[in-house]
Amino acid sequence: MQNILLTIDKISTWVGQLFAWLIFSLTLMISWEVFSRYVLNHPHPWAFDVMSMMYGTLFMMAGAYTLSKNGHVRGDVLYGFFPPRLQAGLDLLLYLVFFIPGVVAMAWAGFHYAGDSWAIREYSNVTADGPPVYPFKTVIPIAGGLLLLQGLVEIVRCVICLQQGEWPSRIEDVEEVDVEKLKEMVNVKDSDIAKLDRYVVAGQGVQK
Amino acid sequence: MKKEIWFGLSIMALVVVSAFVLLPPFAEMKNGHLGLLMLALVVVAIMLGFPTAFTLMGMGMIFAWIAYRSQNPSLAVDQTLDLMVQRTFSVMSNDVLISIPLFVFMGYLIERANLIEKLFKSMHLATARVPGSLAVATIITCAIFATATGIVGAVVTLMGLLALPAMLRAGYSVQLSAGAITAGGCLGILIPPSVMLIVYGATAGVSVVKLYAGAFFPGIMLATLYIVYVVIIAKLKPHLAPPMSAEERIVPLPPVTQEISNTFSDKVLPSLLGALKGKRNAATPTVEILKQLGIALLPLISVALLSGVIFFKITQPLPSEVVEGVVAMGGAIEDEPQEEESSNSSELQEPQAMGDLKSLPGAFEAPQALGGAVEAPAVAASTTAASSAAASAEEAAKPAEVADVGERQPAPTGFWIAMGVVAFAMFVFYAYFSFARLEIFKMLLGSFFPLAVMILAVLGTIVFGLATPTEAAAIGSLGGLLLAAAYRRLNFQVMKESVFLTAKTSAMVCWLFVGSSIFSAAFALLGGQELINTWVLSLDMTPVQFMILAQVVIFLLGWPLEWTEIIVIFMPIFIPLLPHFGIDPLFFGLLVALNLQTAFLSPPVAMAAFYLKGVSPPQVSLNQIFAGMMPFMAIQVFAIVLLYMFPAIGLWLPEVLYK
Repeated sequence: MQNILLTIDKISTWVGQLFAWLIFSLTLMISWEVFSRYVLNHPHPWAFDVMSMMYGTLFMMAGAYTLSKNGHVRGDVLYGFFPPRLQAGLDLLLYLVFFIPGVVAMAWAGFHYAGDSWAIREYSNVTADGPPVYPFKTVIPIAGGLLLLQGLVEIVRCVICLQQGEWPSRIEDVEEVDVEKLKEMVNVKDSDIAKLDRYVVAGQGVQK
Repeated sequence: MKKEIWFGLSIMALVVVSAFVLLPPFAEMKNGHLGLLMLALVVVAIMLGFPTAFTLMGMGMIFAWIAYRSQNPSLAVDQTLDLMVQRTFSVMSNDVLISIPLFVFMGYLIERANLIEKLFKSMHLATARVPGSLAVATIITCAIFATATGIVGAVVTLMGLLALPAMLRAGYSVQLSAGAITAGGCLGILIPPSVMLIVYGATAGVSVVKLYAGAFFPGIMLATLYIVYVVIIAKLKPHLAPPMSAEERIVPLPPVTQEISNTFSDKVLPSLLGALKGKRNAATPTVEILKQLGIALLPLISVALLSGVIFFKITQPLPSEVVEGVVAMGGAIEDEPQEEESSNSSELQEPQAMGDLKSLPGAFEAPQALGGAVEAPAVAASTTAASSAAASAEEAAKPAEVADVGERQPAPTGFWIAMGVVAFAMFVFYAYFSFARLEIFKMLLGSFFPLAVMILAVLGTIVFGLATPTEAAAIGSLGGLLLAAAYRRLNFQVMKESVFLTAKTSAMVCWLFVGSSIFSAAFALLGGQELINTWVLSLDMTPVQFMILAQVVIFLLGWPLEWTEIIVIFMPIFIPLLPHFGIDPLFFGLLVALNLQTAFLSPPVAMAAFYLKGVSPPQVSLNQIFAGMMPFMAIQVFAIVLLYMFPAIGLWLPEVLYK
């Protein structure tokens, strides 16, 4: 079971990380466009459309990746205090009530939305002579499908947690605040921090 | 453990029950009431801890379906599906949100360039004489680094690793140290370029450019207030923040400058020039002296170049109305920002500056002979010489045009007065410019100026309308890449991590937008907005009362919810009310941004405190950190009041720039 879960995790992660590189091309493209417009005096009319397509694809395709790393923002004022079983129970309930219907509806509606766009070979009307839009709209059902798949995995995780009383493990990924890495970056060791205690204690002595 | 759970669950139950009690019974319920019910339920659902984006999406879908069904049951499903996909697509092609991943990317890259250690050390030395210097340096470092990166957690953690040990060792009180770090680390949320302002702009339909221009001075003001507070505390209660001892202040000099300062005097300019032509410099190679001199003259050269540019701008012979606007600006930015902005040109002009050196020492030789006191006119002379040279060069470049357009405008008296002030400031600067200070200046050159230049360049291009926020953000990301490369931190691993983190953070924010835009569409469909509008208007409040009520509500919401949730869910409710009270949404946004920043420092949910606790010595308790944060939180409330009393703090810059 855990293998299947981790495999789907890997798929979401791989897709998300693949599309994550769009940020790099987006940076380069806009920088080039700025240079081309202001210095070479040669703007490209399609640049605006392509920018927003890159951005839209980037975040949509990273949705499942973020979910697989438990990265979507939660209101965790109380959640953090809950024991794992209660967390899993609430999550399971809300996955079934909010997540599954919402994402299914989005993927389904997106499928038809993109289908209509393919049928008429829709081109962007934001700028004159815009690029084709139908591949971009196709992102919605694909991202929705991936998200749904990942959501099912999360549901299974909730069930496992309900049975075992603790959350099954996830694959490690780069963290925004990785304390160990930051310590390494500025060359601070745990023992150095522990040594500071005497200053803290001494300081309190002075104040009292 | 159990207690908290029951407390939380009972609060949620209370919200649901009171919603049902306050609203009319189910049978008489109109759609608008359903909208309010939805709002109450969503707060509860968010507190349950499910990913907010999907809570909003699911709930929005259900209530949108109910709303449509009350109009036409047969079309309800199709309409709901259409609504969802259209809302999703509108977020995907949103031209404001597109700058979020770019700014986030820039932040991660700059964070990984590992400038913070150097920045803190150089700031520390530069502020050594100020009371409470370590805390002041901490706040400045935090403000700059947090502004450039925008990642509160990383900044607080890093400063907890660097500044906290330094402050504790120097005998600072735990509270003051913790407060300075947490308060400083949160400044990045407010000072542009910040993601929070983009999210507000996208939600409220306010131009991000104006928000950036507006938030700049309140952000600076807040940082200044923090510093003033720390300095006052250090003056009044020296045992909380003891001053540095003399030996700690000594800056080790490299052998070259050490020798020169031994043989000549401690003042950089006279002794370097003396060493250049004198015979006593046998031990040091001329190239080395020239290099030191070049660095020492950088401020002067950049100031001269900048005044030249300003002179050229204001004496531009073209349309007169343009001239006036520029004069106002020129006079205003003359004094303070010049030091920072000038470094912009100094970075670019470096090769040229080296060339200029050959002519400049000549200009200095005469006053050198007479002694240091006569330097002022020389500085002024060289400044004006540079400006007129620049101007005349430009004029010569296009003689044909000049013939048509006519004479240059004479520079206004204000310009010359400002020039005099600047020249005097430069004189004072060089009069006190010792070799130790030269070392500090070099350290700042390697840490402070690159970041300051980047932030100001990104902000400047946005605020002066040279580039859209998106373009500036992209250039900023490119700058981040170059910065990381320049500090030899750019490798595939760092790149990969930054890219993946950017994807996750942007997905988090933008999916939240997808959810909230479906949710707010449902809320509007149900007519909940109208109900709230009529209710608020029936209270017959004055604008001041409304403003205070709104800020208190937002402040209270800041406890259970994150700022993203508050903005995307509750701003659409507040914004339509603003015109009734004649409140500028831009001004409201600035207040909200300040207010939400306070939420970052309000115990017991303040994330900054937990990040700091994670890297502080075991004896430092969470309560001590919270206690340290309280004064800074009070300062923030004071800042909100100040901004409210004097809206010009925030609105002056946007008004000047976009009349």
